[in-house]
Amino acid sequence: MITMYHYLFVGIILFLLGIVGSIISKNVIKVLICIEFMLTGININFITFATYCDGQNFDGYIFVLFYTGLGAVELGIALYIFYLMYQKKESDNIEKYCDL
Amino acid sequence: MSENPILFYTSFILIIFFGIMSIAEQRLIRVLLYAVGLFFAVSILFYLLGSEYNAIIQAAIYGLAVPIIIGISIMFTTGKKENAKESVIPTITWIFSGILLLGFIYVIMISFAILPDSLHIVEIPQRNSYDVLSAFAKGIFINYVWSFEIISLLLTVVIAGFTLFKKGRAD
Repeated sequence: MITMYHYLFVGIILFLLGIVGSIISKNVIKVLICIEFMLTGININFITFATYCDGQNFDGYIFVLFYTGLGAVELGIALYIFYLMYQKKESDNIEKYCDL
Repeated sequence: MSENPILFYTSFILIIFFGIMSIAEQRLIRVLLYAVGLFFAVSILFYLLGSEYNAIIQAAIYGLAVPIIIGISIMFTTGKKENAKESVIPTITWIFSGILLLGFIYVIMISFAILPDSLHIVEIPQRNSYDVLSAFAKGIFINYVWSFEIISLLLTVVIAGFTLFKKGRAD
C-alpha cells in the first residue's frame, strides 16, 4: 500500500539531491538545475499534503502552480545574470562568480 | 487518485537514477537531459497523486520550457569540462547513491510490512476530475486571485525587462 509517507520520502530525497548537487557542483548551470530539483521536492510535498490532508480546497495544488511560475521566472533571471557575467568572466566555474 | 505501486516505484527509481546521474555527470547537455527525465518522472508522481493539471504543467514547463532556456544558456558556454579539482565528486556521489539505495530498500520493506490499522492516520480521498478543476478555478480566481495577478504581473515584467535589456544593449 502506498501511503502519504512514501510520497514525502520521495520529496525529501529529491530535496537532498538538490542540496548535495548544489553544494558539490562547480558549474553555475548545474547549480541552478539542482536548485530546481529542490523546488520540485517542495512541490511534491505540497501536492502530497493537499491530496491527503485537504479534501476540499486543494490549496497545495494552487501553491504548486504559483511555485512553478516563480521557478521559471527565477531560472530565467538567474540565467540572464549568468549570461551577462559569462561575457566578462568567460568561465562557468562558480568560484569565479564570488563578486556577485 | 490512483494507487498504482508499479508506477510509483518506477517513477521513484527513475527520480533517484536521473537525480544521481545529473549530479555525477560532467557534460552539461547530459545533465540537462537527465534533469528532463527527472521532471517527467515527477509529473508521473503528480498524476498518481490525483493532480492531473499540475502533472501537465510540470511536464510542459519543467519538462519542455525550462530545458529550452537552459539549453540556450549551455550553447553560450564553451562546453569545457569542469576543472580537475572535482575528482572527489564521484566518490561523494557513490556514497550518497548508496545511502539513497538503502532508503529505497527501507521504503519497499515498509510497504510489504503488515501495518496495524491504527497507523493509517488518514483515509485515501476519492474524488473526480470535476472536483479538482473546481478547486483550481476557485483557488485561482477567488481565494488567491491577488497572488495570481501578482505572479502574472511578475512574468510580464520579466519578459518586458528582458526585451528592454536586449534593446538597451543593442543600442
